[in-house]
Amino acid sequence: MSEPLDLSLRRQAAALAAGELDPSELLEATLARIEERNPALNAVVETFPEHSREMLAAAPPGPLHGVPIVIKDEWPLPWRAQRFGAAEMLAHAEPGESGPYRALRDAGAVIVGVGNMHELGASSTGNISVYGPAHNPWNPERCPGGSSSGPAASVAARLVAGAVGADGVGSIRYPAAYCGLTGLKPTFGRSAMAGHHMAEISTTIVSGALCADAADCRLLDSVLFGEALTAGEPAGLRIGVIGGEVSEDVAPAVREACETAIEDLRRQTGGEVREIELPELAAATLATVLIANSEGLGDVTPERLNRLDPELSPIGRGLLKYRLLLPAIATVKAQQLRTLARHTLARVFEEVDVLACPTVPAVAPPLEAPLVELPSGTLTADEANVRGGALANLTGIPAISVPVGSSDGLPVALQLQAAWGRDELLLDAAEALECANDRRWVEATPPVLGAETLGA
Amino acid sequence: MDASNPANEFIAAGLAAYGIEADEIELAVIGAAHQTFWPPILELLELDTGEIPVERSPDLSQAPPSR
Repeated sequence: MSEPLDLSLRRQAAALAAGELDPSELLEATLARIEERNPALNAVVETFPEHSREMLAAAPPGPLHGVPIVIKDEWPLPWRAQRFGAAEMLAHAEPGESGPYRALRDAGAVIVGVGNMHELGASSTGNISVYGPAHNPWNPERCPGGSSSGPAASVAARLVAGAVGADGVGSIRYPAAYCGLTGLKPTFGRSAMAGHHMAEISTTIVSGALCADAADCRLLDSVLFGEALTAGEPAGLRIGVIGGEVSEDVAPAVREACETAIEDLRRQTGGEVREIELPELAAATLATVLIANSEGLGDVTPERLNRLDPELSPIGRGLLKYRLLLPAIATVKAQQLRTLARHTLARVFEEVDVLACPTVPAVAPPLEAPLVELPSGTLTADEANVRGGALANLTGIPAISVPVGSSDGLPVALQLQAAWGRDELLLDAAEALECANDRRWVEATPPVLGAETLGA
Repeated sequence: MDASNPANEFIAAGLAAYGIEADEIELAVIGAAHQTFWPPILELLELDTGEIPVERSPDLSQAPPSR
Protein backbone atom coordinates (compact mmCIF):
# COMPACT_ATOMS: atom_id res chain seq x y z
CA MET A 1 0.00 0.00 0.00
CA SER A 2 1.16 3.59 -0.68
CA GLU A 3 2.00 5.82 2.23
CA PRO A 4 -1.38 5.90 4.06
CA LEU A 5 -1.26 9.66 4.53
CA ASP A 6 -0.98 10.15 0.77
CA LEU A 7 -4.00 8.01 -0.05
CA SER A 8 -7.17 9.68 -1.26
CA LEU A 9 -9.93 10.26 1.25
CA ARG A 10 -12.00 7.38 -0.14
CA ARG A 11 -9.03 5.01 -0.16
CA GLN A 12 -8.19 5.90 3.43
CA ALA A 13 -11.83 5.21 4.34
CA ALA A 14 -11.85 1.93 2.41
CA ALA A 15 -8.53 0.74 3.87
CA LEU A 16 -9.72 1.52 7.39
CA ALA A 17 -13.03 -0.27 6.79
CA ALA A 18 -11.19 -3.31 5.42
CA GLY A 19 -8.87 -3.43 8.40
CA GLU A 20 -5.84 -2.73 6.19
CA LEU A 21 -5.12 0.46 8.09
CA ASP A 22 -5.13 0.94 11.83
CA PRO A 23 -7.07 4.13 12.70
CA SER A 24 -4.92 4.93 15.72
CA GLU A 25 -1.77 4.65 13.66
CA LEU A 26 -3.30 6.84 10.96
CA LEU A 27 -4.28 9.47 13.51
CA GLU A 28 -0.83 9.56 15.10
CA ALA A 29 0.86 9.66 11.70
CA THR A 30 -1.41 12.53 10.67
CA LEU A 31 -0.57 14.50 13.79
CA ALA A 32 3.13 13.86 13.17
CA ARG A 33 2.81 15.03 9.57
CA ILE A 34 1.06 18.21 10.68
CA GLU A 35 3.89 18.82 13.11
CA GLU A 36 6.42 18.23 10.36
CA ARG A 37 4.91 20.13 7.45
CA ASN A 38 2.65 22.74 8.99
CA PRO A 39 5.28 25.19 10.32
CA ALA A 40 6.12 26.24 6.76
CA LEU A 41 2.46 26.55 5.79
CA ASN A 42 0.48 27.71 8.83
CA ALA A 43 -2.48 25.84 7.38
CA VAL A 44 -3.57 24.29 10.68
CA VAL A 45 -3.84 26.77 13.53
CA GLU A 46 -4.64 24.34 16.32
CA THR A 47 -4.48 20.63 16.98
CA PHE A 48 -5.95 18.90 20.04
CA PRO A 49 -4.60 15.36 20.09
CA GLU A 50 -6.54 14.30 23.19
CA HIS A 51 -9.88 15.40 21.73
CA SER A 52 -8.98 13.72 18.44
CA ARG A 53 -8.13 10.48 20.25
CA GLU A 54 -11.39 10.69 22.19
CA MET A 55 -13.30 11.21 18.93
CA LEU A 56 -11.63 8.14 17.48
CA ALA A 57 -12.31 6.05 20.57
CA ALA A 58 -16.01 6.94 20.35
CA ALA A 59 -16.24 6.86 16.55
CA PRO A 60 -19.19 4.85 15.27
CA PRO A 61 -18.98 2.76 12.12
CA GLY A 62 -19.62 5.08 9.24
CA PRO A 63 -18.42 6.16 5.81
CA LEU A 64 -15.48 8.11 7.29
CA HIS A 65 -14.68 5.86 10.25
CA GLY A 66 -11.23 6.83 11.50
CA VAL A 67 -10.52 9.29 8.68
CA PRO A 68 -8.69 12.48 9.80
CA ILE A 69 -10.32 15.75 8.75
CA VAL A 70 -9.44 19.45 9.15
CA ILE A 71 -12.27 21.92 9.74
CA LYS A 72 -12.18 25.67 9.07
CA ASP A 73 -11.97 28.15 11.94
CA GLU A 74 -15.53 29.15 11.08
CA TRP A 75 -17.23 26.36 13.02
CA PRO A 76 -17.42 25.78 16.76
CA LEU A 77 -16.28 22.49 18.24
CA PRO A 78 -17.41 21.18 21.63
CA TRP A 79 -14.00 22.08 23.05
CA ARG A 80 -13.28 25.25 21.07
CA ALA A 81 -15.11 28.35 19.85
CA GLN A 82 -14.40 29.49 16.32
CA ARG A 83 -12.37 32.69 15.96
CA PHE A 84 -13.26 33.40 12.31
CA GLY A 85 -9.59 34.11 11.65
CA ALA A 86 -9.87 37.28 13.70
CA ALA A 87 -8.82 38.82 16.99
CA GLU A 88 -12.46 39.77 17.46
CA MET A 89 -15.70 38.58 15.93
CA LEU A 90 -18.69 40.87 16.13
CA ALA A 91 -20.97 37.86 16.58
CA HIS A 92 -21.01 35.83 19.76
CA ALA A 93 -19.09 32.57 19.58
CA GLU A 94 -18.75 29.76 22.07
CA PRO A 95 -17.78 26.09 21.99
CA GLY A 96 -20.52 23.80 20.75
CA GLU A 97 -21.63 21.10 18.37
CA SER A 98 -21.93 22.60 14.91
CA GLY A 99 -23.75 20.87 12.09
CA PRO A 100 -20.53 19.91 10.30
CA TYR A 101 -19.05 18.64 13.58
CA ARG A 102 -22.07 16.40 14.19
CA ALA A 103 -22.08 15.17 10.61
CA LEU A 104 -18.38 14.30 10.78
CA ARG A 105 -18.67 12.70 14.21
CA ASP A 106 -21.68 10.61 13.20
CA ALA A 107 -19.81 9.44 10.09
CA GLY A 108 -16.94 8.25 12.28
CA ALA A 109 -14.48 10.94 11.17
CA VAL A 110 -11.78 12.33 13.44
CA ILE A 111 -11.25 16.09 13.51
CA VAL A 112 -7.49 16.57 13.81
CA GLY A 113 -7.14 20.30 13.50
CA VAL A 114 -8.63 23.70 12.80
CA GLY A 115 -7.81 25.25 9.46
CA ASN A 116 -6.64 28.85 9.12
CA MET A 117 -8.85 31.36 7.32
CA HIS A 118 -8.83 34.94 6.10
CA GLU A 119 -9.77 37.39 8.82
CA LEU A 120 -13.57 37.61 9.17
CA GLY A 121 -13.93 35.64 5.93
CA ALA A 122 -13.46 38.91 4.10
CA SER A 123 -11.17 38.08 1.18
CA SER A 124 -10.42 35.63 -1.60
CA THR A 125 -6.69 35.68 -0.82
CA GLY A 126 -6.09 34.36 2.70
CA ASN A 127 -3.25 36.83 3.25
CA ILE A 128 -4.56 38.25 6.54
CA SER A 129 -5.39 36.24 9.63
CA VAL A 130 -5.02 36.61 13.37
CA TYR A 131 -2.83 33.53 13.17
CA GLY A 132 -0.72 34.96 10.35
CA PRO A 133 -1.46 33.90 6.77
CA ALA A 134 -1.54 30.35 5.55
CA HIS A 135 0.89 29.72 2.70
CA ASN A 136 0.20 28.09 -0.64
CA PRO A 137 1.95 24.68 -0.81
CA TRP A 138 2.64 25.25 -4.52
CA ASN A 139 4.67 28.33 -3.62
CA PRO A 140 4.75 29.48 0.00
CA GLU A 141 5.15 33.09 -1.08
CA ARG A 142 1.79 32.95 -2.86
CA CYS A 143 -1.73 33.31 -1.48
CA PRO A 144 -3.48 30.05 -0.63
CA GLY A 145 -6.85 31.64 -1.42
CA GLY A 146 -9.60 32.63 0.95
CA SER A 147 -11.35 32.62 2.96
CA SER A 148 -10.93 28.81 3.47
CA SER A 149 -7.15 29.17 3.23
CA GLY A 150 -6.12 26.62 5.85
CA PRO A 151 -8.44 23.81 4.76
CA ALA A 152 -7.16 24.15 1.20
CA ALA A 153 -3.49 24.34 2.13
CA SER A 154 -3.97 21.36 4.49
CA VAL A 155 -5.26 19.13 1.72
CA ALA A 156 -2.84 20.40 -0.93
CA ALA A 157 0.08 19.65 1.41
CA ARG A 158 -1.46 16.26 2.22
CA LEU A 159 -1.72 16.95 5.92
CA VAL A 160 -5.16 15.40 5.53
CA ALA A 161 -7.12 14.07 2.58
CA GLY A 162 -10.22 16.14 3.20
CA ALA A 163 -11.22 19.40 4.84
CA VAL A 164 -14.44 21.28 5.54
CA GLY A 165 -14.68 24.89 4.44
CA ALA A 166 -17.41 27.48 4.06
CA ASP A 167 -18.39 29.54 1.03
CA GLY A 168 -20.19 32.88 1.39
CA VAL A 169 -18.76 34.63 -1.67
CA GLY A 170 -16.55 32.00 -3.30
CA SER A 171 -14.63 31.05 -0.17
CA ILE A 172 -14.35 27.34 -0.99
CA ARG A 173 -13.77 27.76 -4.72
CA TYR A 174 -11.06 30.44 -4.65
CA PRO A 175 -8.70 28.47 -2.35
CA ALA A 176 -9.51 25.26 -4.22
CA ALA A 177 -8.44 27.02 -7.41
CA TYR A 178 -5.25 28.52 -5.97
CA CYS A 179 -4.20 25.24 -4.32
CA GLY A 180 -5.10 22.85 -7.16
CA LEU A 181 -7.99 21.12 -5.38
CA THR A 182 -11.58 20.30 -6.12
CA GLY A 183 -14.05 22.32 -4.06
CA LEU A 184 -17.83 22.18 -4.16
CA LYS A 185 -20.02 25.07 -3.08
CA PRO A 186 -23.29 23.22 -2.46
CA THR A 187 -26.77 24.40 -3.31
CA PHE A 188 -27.82 26.82 -0.57
CA GLY A 189 -29.31 24.97 2.39
CA ARG A 190 -28.26 21.49 1.31
CA SER A 191 -25.20 21.06 3.54
CA ALA A 192 -24.89 21.25 7.33
CA MET A 193 -24.89 24.82 8.65
CA ALA A 194 -26.24 24.57 12.22
CA GLY A 195 -24.04 26.22 14.81
CA HIS A 196 -22.46 28.67 12.40
CA HIS A 197 -22.59 32.13 13.94
CA MET A 198 -24.51 33.37 10.89
CA ALA A 199 -26.61 30.28 10.25
CA GLU A 200 -29.88 32.09 10.94
CA ILE A 201 -28.87 35.28 9.15
CA SER A 202 -26.84 34.51 6.06
CA THR A 203 -28.46 33.83 2.71
CA THR A 204 -25.14 33.14 1.00
CA ILE A 205 -22.97 30.91 3.24
CA VAL A 206 -22.80 27.11 2.93
CA SER A 207 -20.43 24.46 4.23
CA GLY A 208 -18.62 22.22 1.78
CA ALA A 209 -15.69 19.94 1.11
CA LEU A 210 -12.21 20.64 -0.23
CA CYS A 211 -10.47 17.50 -1.49
CA ALA A 212 -8.01 16.40 -4.14
CA ASP A 213 -10.67 15.24 -6.56
CA ALA A 214 -14.38 14.98 -7.23
CA ALA A 215 -14.84 11.46 -5.86
CA ASP A 216 -13.39 12.52 -2.52
CA CYS A 217 -15.62 15.61 -2.50
CA ARG A 218 -18.58 13.33 -3.23
CA LEU A 219 -17.77 11.26 -0.15
CA LEU A 220 -17.16 14.16 2.22
CA ASP A 221 -20.04 16.24 0.88
CA SER A 222 -22.38 13.25 1.22
CA VAL A 223 -21.56 13.36 4.92
CA LEU A 224 -22.13 17.12 5.12
CA PHE A 225 -25.37 16.82 3.14
CA GLY A 226 -26.63 13.86 5.17
CA GLU A 227 -27.50 12.03 1.97
CA ALA A 228 -25.63 10.01 -0.62
CA LEU A 229 -24.57 12.04 -3.64
CA THR A 230 -24.81 9.27 -6.16
CA ALA A 231 -22.65 9.20 -9.26
CA GLY A 232 -24.08 9.38 -12.75
CA GLU A 233 -22.97 9.72 -16.35
CA PRO A 234 -23.12 13.27 -17.67
CA ALA A 235 -23.65 12.07 -21.24
CA GLY A 236 -24.52 14.72 -23.78
CA LEU A 237 -23.62 17.51 -21.36
CA ARG A 238 -24.87 20.88 -22.54
CA ILE A 239 -22.14 23.34 -21.57
CA GLY A 240 -22.76 27.06 -21.54
CA VAL A 241 -19.67 29.23 -21.56
CA ILE A 242 -20.33 32.50 -19.82
CA GLY A 243 -19.41 35.34 -22.16
CA GLY A 244 -17.93 38.68 -21.23
CA GLU A 245 -15.19 39.73 -18.85
CA VAL A 246 -15.50 36.71 -16.54
CA SER A 247 -14.19 34.52 -19.37
CA GLU A 248 -12.31 37.12 -21.40
CA ASP A 249 -10.57 39.50 -19.00
CA VAL A 250 -8.42 36.61 -17.89
CA ALA A 251 -4.69 35.89 -17.92
CA PRO A 252 -3.87 34.26 -21.27
CA ALA A 253 -2.59 30.99 -19.78
CA VAL A 254 -5.72 30.67 -17.63
CA ARG A 255 -7.95 31.35 -20.59
CA GLU A 256 -6.18 28.79 -22.73
CA ALA A 257 -6.28 26.08 -20.04
CA CYS A 258 -9.98 26.68 -19.37
CA GLU A 259 -10.87 26.65 -23.06
CA THR A 260 -8.99 23.39 -23.45
CA ALA A 261 -10.79 21.94 -20.44
CA ILE A 262 -14.19 22.95 -21.78
CA GLU A 263 -13.42 21.25 -25.07
CA ASP A 264 -12.13 18.17 -23.19
CA LEU A 265 -15.36 18.04 -21.20
CA ARG A 266 -17.47 18.39 -24.33
CA ARG A 267 -15.60 15.59 -26.03
CA GLN A 268 -15.61 13.33 -22.97
CA THR A 269 -19.35 13.65 -22.49
CA GLY A 270 -20.32 13.79 -26.15
CA GLY A 271 -21.87 17.11 -25.34
CA GLU A 272 -22.19 20.53 -26.87
CA VAL A 273 -20.90 24.01 -26.11
CA ARG A 274 -22.59 27.33 -26.59
CA GLU A 275 -21.92 30.82 -25.32
CA ILE A 276 -24.31 32.26 -22.78
CA GLU A 277 -24.59 35.97 -22.13
CA LEU A 278 -25.43 37.04 -18.60
CA PRO A 279 -25.77 40.81 -18.87
CA GLU A 280 -26.78 41.05 -15.23
CA LEU A 281 -23.54 39.49 -14.04
CA ALA A 282 -21.61 42.67 -13.19
CA ALA A 283 -24.48 44.12 -11.18
CA ALA A 284 -25.18 40.72 -9.64
CA THR A 285 -21.61 40.62 -8.39
CA LEU A 286 -22.03 43.93 -6.59
CA ALA A 287 -25.40 42.76 -5.29
CA THR A 288 -23.79 39.71 -3.72
CA VAL A 289 -21.16 41.79 -1.97
CA LEU A 290 -23.78 44.22 -0.69
CA ILE A 291 -26.04 41.47 0.63
CA ALA A 292 -23.21 39.47 2.20
CA ASN A 293 -21.81 42.59 3.86
CA SER A 294 -25.15 43.78 5.21
CA GLU A 295 -26.28 40.46 6.67
CA GLY A 296 -23.78 40.58 9.53
CA LEU A 297 -24.66 44.12 10.58
CA GLY A 298 -27.15 43.11 13.23
CA ASP A 299 -24.28 42.70 15.67
CA VAL A 300 -22.81 46.10 14.89
CA THR A 301 -23.22 49.28 16.89
CA PRO A 302 -21.19 52.44 16.46
CA GLU A 303 -20.03 52.06 20.03
CA ARG A 304 -18.68 48.55 19.32
CA LEU A 305 -16.90 49.82 16.26
CA ASN A 306 -15.13 52.37 18.43
CA ARG A 307 -13.67 49.72 20.68
CA LEU A 308 -12.60 47.07 18.20
CA ASP A 309 -9.76 44.86 19.29
CA PRO A 310 -6.53 46.62 18.23
CA GLU A 311 -5.22 43.23 17.07
CA LEU A 312 -7.86 43.23 14.33
CA SER A 313 -6.09 44.28 11.14
CA PRO A 314 -6.48 47.89 9.97
CA ILE A 315 -8.11 46.52 6.82
CA GLY A 316 -10.59 44.54 8.91
CA ARG A 317 -11.36 47.54 11.11
CA GLY A 318 -11.73 49.88 8.16
CA LEU A 319 -14.01 47.54 6.21
CA LEU A 320 -16.24 46.95 9.23
CA LYS A 321 -16.69 50.69 9.61
CA TYR A 322 -17.26 51.23 5.90
CA ARG A 323 -20.18 48.80 5.96
CA LEU A 324 -22.24 51.36 7.84
CA LEU A 325 -21.86 53.81 4.99
CA LEU A 326 -23.45 51.50 2.40
CA PRO A 327 -26.84 52.96 1.46
CA ALA A 328 -29.94 50.96 2.27
CA ILE A 329 -31.39 51.64 -1.19
CA ALA A 330 -28.46 49.78 -2.73
CA THR A 331 -29.25 46.71 -0.64
CA VAL A 332 -32.92 46.89 -1.71
CA LYS A 333 -31.89 47.03 -5.34
CA ALA A 334 -29.44 44.20 -4.70
CA GLN A 335 -32.36 42.02 -3.60
CA GLN A 336 -34.22 42.93 -6.79
CA LEU A 337 -31.15 41.97 -8.81
CA ARG A 338 -31.06 38.68 -6.93
CA THR A 339 -34.59 37.97 -8.14
CA LEU A 340 -33.65 38.97 -11.67
CA ALA A 341 -30.52 36.78 -11.64
CA ARG A 342 -32.44 33.79 -10.28
CA HIS A 343 -35.06 34.06 -13.03
CA THR A 344 -32.37 34.50 -15.68
CA LEU A 345 -30.56 31.39 -14.45
CA ALA A 346 -33.78 29.38 -14.32
CA ARG A 347 -34.23 30.15 -18.03
CA VAL A 348 -30.56 29.50 -18.84
CA PHE A 349 -30.63 26.09 -17.15
CA GLU A 350 -33.45 25.03 -19.45
CA GLU A 351 -30.95 25.44 -22.31
CA VAL A 352 -27.72 24.20 -20.72
CA ASP A 353 -26.77 21.78 -17.95
CA VAL A 354 -23.70 23.60 -16.68
CA LEU A 355 -22.22 27.06 -16.95
CA ALA A 356 -18.43 27.24 -17.30
CA CYS A 357 -15.90 29.99 -16.70
CA PRO A 358 -12.49 30.28 -15.05
CA THR A 359 -12.83 30.03 -11.27
CA VAL A 360 -10.34 32.87 -10.89
CA PRO A 361 -8.85 34.90 -13.73
CA ALA A 362 -5.20 34.53 -12.68
CA VAL A 363 -3.07 32.17 -10.63
CA ALA A 364 -2.39 32.75 -6.94
CA PRO A 365 -0.86 36.21 -6.42
CA PRO A 366 1.94 37.05 -3.97
CA LEU A 367 0.97 37.11 -0.29
CA GLU A 368 2.73 40.44 0.10
CA ALA A 369 0.76 42.16 -2.67
CA PRO A 370 -2.30 40.22 -3.87
CA LEU A 371 -2.65 41.92 -7.24
CA VAL A 372 -3.31 40.23 -10.56
CA GLU A 373 -2.38 41.25 -14.08
CA LEU A 374 -5.28 40.96 -16.49
CA PRO A 375 -5.75 42.20 -20.05
CA SER A 376 -7.69 45.16 -18.63
CA GLY A 377 -4.85 46.06 -16.26
CA THR A 378 -3.80 45.46 -12.68
CA LEU A 379 -6.59 44.61 -10.25
CA THR A 380 -6.71 43.48 -6.67
CA ALA A 381 -7.29 39.73 -6.58
CA ASP A 382 -10.56 40.32 -4.70
CA GLU A 383 -11.95 42.64 -7.39
CA ALA A 384 -11.03 40.14 -10.07
CA ASN A 385 -12.09 36.95 -8.32
CA VAL A 386 -15.53 38.07 -7.22
CA ARG A 387 -16.61 38.43 -10.85
CA GLY A 388 -16.83 34.67 -11.20
CA GLY A 389 -17.47 33.62 -7.65
CA ALA A 390 -20.45 35.68 -6.55
CA LEU A 391 -23.30 34.49 -8.75
CA ALA A 392 -23.70 31.10 -7.10
CA ASN A 393 -23.92 32.65 -3.65
CA LEU A 394 -26.39 35.30 -4.78
CA THR A 395 -28.75 32.85 -6.41
CA GLY A 396 -28.25 29.69 -4.35
CA ILE A 397 -27.03 27.46 -7.20
CA PRO A 398 -24.18 24.95 -6.69
CA ALA A 399 -20.73 25.51 -8.16
CA ILE A 400 -17.53 23.52 -8.29
CA SER A 401 -13.91 24.42 -8.94
CA VAL A 402 -11.82 21.82 -10.74
CA PRO A 403 -8.05 21.98 -11.42
CA VAL A 404 -7.43 22.03 -15.17
CA GLY A 405 -3.91 23.26 -15.76
CA SER A 406 -1.01 25.29 -14.53
CA SER A 407 0.84 28.49 -15.20
CA ASP A 408 4.18 29.46 -13.66
CA GLY A 409 4.00 26.27 -11.61
CA LEU A 410 0.70 27.32 -10.01
CA PRO A 411 -2.68 25.66 -10.51
CA VAL A 412 -5.36 26.91 -12.89
CA ALA A 413 -9.03 26.04 -12.33
CA LEU A 414 -12.34 25.88 -14.16
CA GLN A 415 -15.63 26.62 -12.43
CA LEU A 416 -18.80 24.78 -13.34
CA GLN A 417 -22.21 25.90 -12.08
CA ALA A 418 -25.52 24.05 -12.34
CA ALA A 419 -29.16 24.48 -11.47
CA TRP A 420 -30.41 24.26 -7.90
CA GLY A 421 -30.05 20.77 -6.45
CA ARG A 422 -27.84 19.48 -9.25
CA ASP A 423 -24.72 19.22 -7.07
CA GLU A 424 -24.36 15.59 -8.18
CA LEU A 425 -24.19 16.65 -11.82
CA LEU A 426 -21.29 18.97 -11.01
CA LEU A 427 -19.42 16.12 -9.36
CA ASP A 428 -20.17 13.91 -12.36
CA ALA A 429 -18.92 16.58 -14.75
CA ALA A 430 -15.78 17.11 -12.67
CA GLU A 431 -15.07 13.38 -12.79
CA ALA A 432 -15.61 13.37 -16.55
CA LEU A 433 -13.11 16.19 -16.85
CA GLU A 434 -10.61 14.26 -14.73
CA CYS A 435 -11.00 11.30 -17.07
CA ALA A 436 -10.58 13.52 -20.10
CA ASN A 437 -7.17 14.76 -18.94
CA ASP A 438 -6.05 11.42 -17.46
CA ARG A 439 -6.34 12.87 -13.93
CA ARG A 440 -3.19 14.85 -14.63
CA TRP A 441 -4.20 17.89 -12.61
CA VAL A 442 -5.93 16.25 -9.65
CA GLU A 443 -2.96 13.97 -9.10
CA ALA A 444 -0.33 16.71 -9.33
CA THR A 445 1.34 17.41 -6.00
CA PRO A 446 3.09 20.56 -4.88
CA PRO A 447 6.87 20.92 -4.80
CA VAL A 448 6.72 21.49 -1.05
CA LEU A 449 6.18 17.73 -0.87
CA GLY A 450 9.35 17.07 -2.79
CA ALA A 451 7.47 16.04 -5.90
CA GLU A 452 7.98 17.28 -9.40
CA THR A 453 6.82 20.82 -10.11
CA LEU A 454 3.86 21.27 -12.39
CA GLY A 455 4.75 21.83 -15.99
CA ALA A 456 3.71 25.18 -17.39
CA MET B 1 -6.83 62.81 3.39
CA ASP B 2 -7.92 65.50 0.94
CA ALA B 3 -11.00 67.07 2.56
CA SER B 4 -11.96 68.82 -0.68
CA ASN B 5 -12.64 65.46 -2.32
CA PRO B 6 -16.42 64.83 -2.17
CA ALA B 7 -15.81 61.16 -1.40
CA ASN B 8 -13.73 62.08 1.60
CA GLU B 9 -16.39 64.52 2.74
CA PHE B 10 -18.95 61.73 2.45
CA ILE B 11 -16.79 59.37 4.48
CA ALA B 12 -15.91 61.91 7.12
CA ALA B 13 -19.50 63.11 7.45
CA GLY B 14 -20.89 59.60 7.47
CA LEU B 15 -18.56 58.37 10.17
CA ALA B 16 -19.12 61.55 12.19
CA ALA B 17 -22.89 61.11 11.95
CA TYR B 18 -22.58 57.69 13.57
CA GLY B 19 -19.98 58.92 16.04
CA ILE B 20 -17.47 56.43 14.66
CA GLU B 21 -13.81 57.18 15.10
CA ALA B 22 -11.23 56.10 12.56
CA ASP B 23 -7.48 56.50 12.50
CA GLU B 24 -5.43 57.44 9.45
CA ILE B 25 -4.91 53.87 8.30
CA GLU B 26 -8.56 52.96 8.72
CA LEU B 27 -9.51 56.08 6.77
CA ALA B 28 -7.18 55.01 3.99
CA VAL B 29 -8.83 51.57 3.92
CA ILE B 30 -12.29 53.10 3.93
CA GLY B 31 -11.25 55.47 1.15
CA ALA B 32 -9.97 52.61 -0.98
CA ALA B 33 -13.14 50.59 -0.38
CA HIS B 34 -15.25 53.60 -1.26
CA GLN B 35 -13.29 54.13 -4.45
CA THR B 36 -13.98 50.51 -5.40
CA PHE B 37 -17.61 50.24 -4.41
CA TRP B 38 -19.08 53.68 -4.88
CA PRO B 39 -19.01 53.98 -8.70
CA PRO B 40 -20.84 50.66 -9.22
CA ILE B 41 -23.21 51.52 -6.39
CA LEU B 42 -24.09 54.76 -8.20
CA GLU B 43 -24.65 52.73 -11.39
CA LEU B 44 -26.86 50.37 -9.43
CA LEU B 45 -28.88 53.26 -8.05
CA GLU B 46 -29.40 54.52 -11.60
CA LEU B 47 -31.03 51.23 -12.63
CA ASP B 48 -34.79 51.39 -12.88
CA THR B 49 -35.63 48.23 -11.00
CA GLY B 50 -39.26 49.12 -10.44
CA GLU B 51 -40.40 46.34 -12.74
CA ILE B 52 -38.44 43.69 -10.89
CA PRO B 53 -40.38 42.12 -8.06
CA VAL B 54 -38.51 40.95 -5.00
CA GLU B 55 -39.10 37.33 -4.05
CA ARG B 56 -40.65 37.28 -0.62
CA SER B 57 -38.56 34.99 1.59
CA PRO B 58 -36.98 33.32 -1.44
CA ASP B 59 -36.16 29.66 -1.12
CA LEU B 60 -32.59 29.80 -2.33
CA SER B 61 -32.34 26.02 -2.42
CA GLN B 62 -34.67 25.95 -5.40
CA ALA B 63 -35.37 27.72 -8.65
CA PRO B 64 -37.71 30.68 -8.28
CA PRO B 65 -41.38 30.07 -8.99
CA SER B 66 -42.02 30.87 -12.63
CA ARG B 67 -43.60 34.25 -13.25
